[in-house]
Amino acid sequence: MASNIIQVRDLRKTYPTGTEAVKGVTFDVKEGEFFGFLGPNGAGKTTTINMLVDLVKRTSGEIEIDGLKLETDAREIYQRLGFAMQEVGLDETATAREMLQLHGRLYHMPPERIESQIQKLLKLVELEKVADRYTHTYSGGMRRRFDLALSLIHEPKILFLDEPTQGLDPHARKLIWGHLRELNKAGMTVFLTTHFMEEAEALCERLAIMDQGQIVTEGTVPELLQKHGAKNLEEVFLKTTGSTLGEDTVDPSGDPFIRSRH
Amino acid sequence: MSTFFHDWYYLSIRSIKQIWRPLLALIPSLFIPIFFFVVNAASLSAFADVPGFPEGVSYRDFIAPIALFTAVFFSAGNPGIEMVLDISSGYFKKLMIMPINRLAIIFGRLTEVAVQAVFQGLIVLVLLLAVGVRIRTGIPGTFAIFGLLIVFAMGWSCVSMTFALRTQNARLVQSLFVIVFPFLYITTSQAPMHLLPPTFRVLATYNPITYIIEGVRALVLNDWGDPAIWKGYAVAIGMFVVLVAVALSSFKKVMK
Ligand SMILES: Nc1ncnc2c1ncn2[C@@H]1O[C@H](COP(=O)(O)OP(=O)(O)OP(=O)(O)O)[C@@H](O)[C@H]1O
Ligand SMILES: [Mg+2]
Repeated sequence: MASNIIQVRDLRKTYPTGTEAVKGVTFDVKEGEFFGFLGPNGAGKTTTINMLVDLVKRTSGEIEIDGLKLETDAREIYQRLGFAMQEVGLDETATAREMLQLHGRLYHMPPERIESQIQKLLKLVELEKVADRYTHTYSGGMRRRFDLALSLIHEPKILFLDEPTQGLDPHARKLIWGHLRELNKAGMTVFLTTHFMEEAEALCERLAIMDQGQIVTEGTVPELLQKHGAKNLEEVFLKTTGSTLGEDTVDPSGDPFIRSRH
Repeated sequence: MSTFFHDWYYLSIRSIKQIWRPLLALIPSLFIPIFFFVVNAASLSAFADVPGFPEGVSYRDFIAPIALFTAVFFSAGNPGIEMVLDISSGYFKKLMIMPINRLAIIFGRLTEVAVQAVFQGLIVLVLLLAVGVRIRTGIPGTFAIFGLLIVFAMGWSCVSMTFALRTQNARLVQSLFVIVFPFLYITTSQAPMHLLPPTFRVLATYNPITYIIEGVRALVLNDWGDPAIWKGYAVAIGMFVVLVAVALSSFKKVMK
């Protein structure tokens, strides 16, 4: 049995504004697993993933990554993880190649390995031809693809992805899915958040569905279907969160971006 | 520790590349010191005849250190601006989740300050030499002047980085030097200490910039025996240590 590479216990976050974004979540991710965090807008997915890497300070709770604690071994943990965030933040004053080189150096990789990784990754995300352009000249989809390549430069043991295919066209999305599957097969643990049902179904071995700061159900796709007597993931989602991702109905009671609740 | 030097080196390369990006922005930071030097040297030259003014020193030579100081001082605002840009673009978060020494993030920016200070200081120095200003402590003294100004500029730039990290407000960080510039005049920049009115003298005594200016001035006008030189260094190094520590402690403010 594979050991847990991520262990989270009773994790909570209350923002200074008073918003209780995460209300006590507990879960484990096994080594080599493709784990999905599914949930509607505002569920607390980004807050959770950011707490896992200490980009958001947790209010309380325990986090262990690869047997290490953020409080004491942050640098060790950072050496082992890659993270493509929901908001793609690039150095606009650099070219893609310069950024990849700098990051390779900062991860203490030998120069030859940096170069071979750069070649491989640029090809993977189909950006070889524009690698020497400043990143501010990239389109939204190019930026996201490049960001993914950047997060993979040091071949991390654990990859965190916060909505990695948001804004990508169907071709690019399929391309990325294929690569993520391969990386996972080669042993990389992947922690992915998404609100695309199709993406979760295509990639994730195990899923947790999050709603309003809590995990409402968890398991492999077949387990979830059985547990909730559902035909597909869409139905599980509907039954557990009371909302659909299929239609864009405005919630009259508040945030127009939060999908309707039935 | 080896990580610190490694990270410092590679982050320095990045920040040095960024100096030349706003090449046009370098013009005002050279224009202002030169403008004030030329105007003051011409309009206030009679000041050298006031009783109590150092014997045999022209007003032009007396204010030459201010031109050098200002040119270098203006190089110290960029790190904060670059840092705010990194924070608002989201790139800063990437740096925060890499196995980087955080002190190296600050020092990477300090390299940029030093390089720019040398570049701007040299231009002003050449101009001063061309109009006849002479540095009495010679070539070693010239190095000592740059050393003093660079340590000061690096320390001072930590103020802009602290504001960047704590407020994440680009406009505020950008206008920081406008707020601070007037304090340059509550020093001995315009007249020797004993010629200042009493209240002004007290303010100037507590203004650390006074000691930096007096240190540079001693190196331009006097000899190595002048205690203002080591006092200047002591103040600059003290400020450097304190302000680096304050900037370093501000990193956690970026995390919500
Ligand atoms: N910096 C912040 N300050 C205050 N509240 C915040 C902050 N960031 C997020 N929140 C709030 O926390 C809640 C959860 O947000 P979060 O971004 O984690 O959701 P999400 O599941 O990632 O949503 P999405 O699918 O839209 O990305 C929301 O109500 C949001 O308004
Ligand atoms: Mg999110």
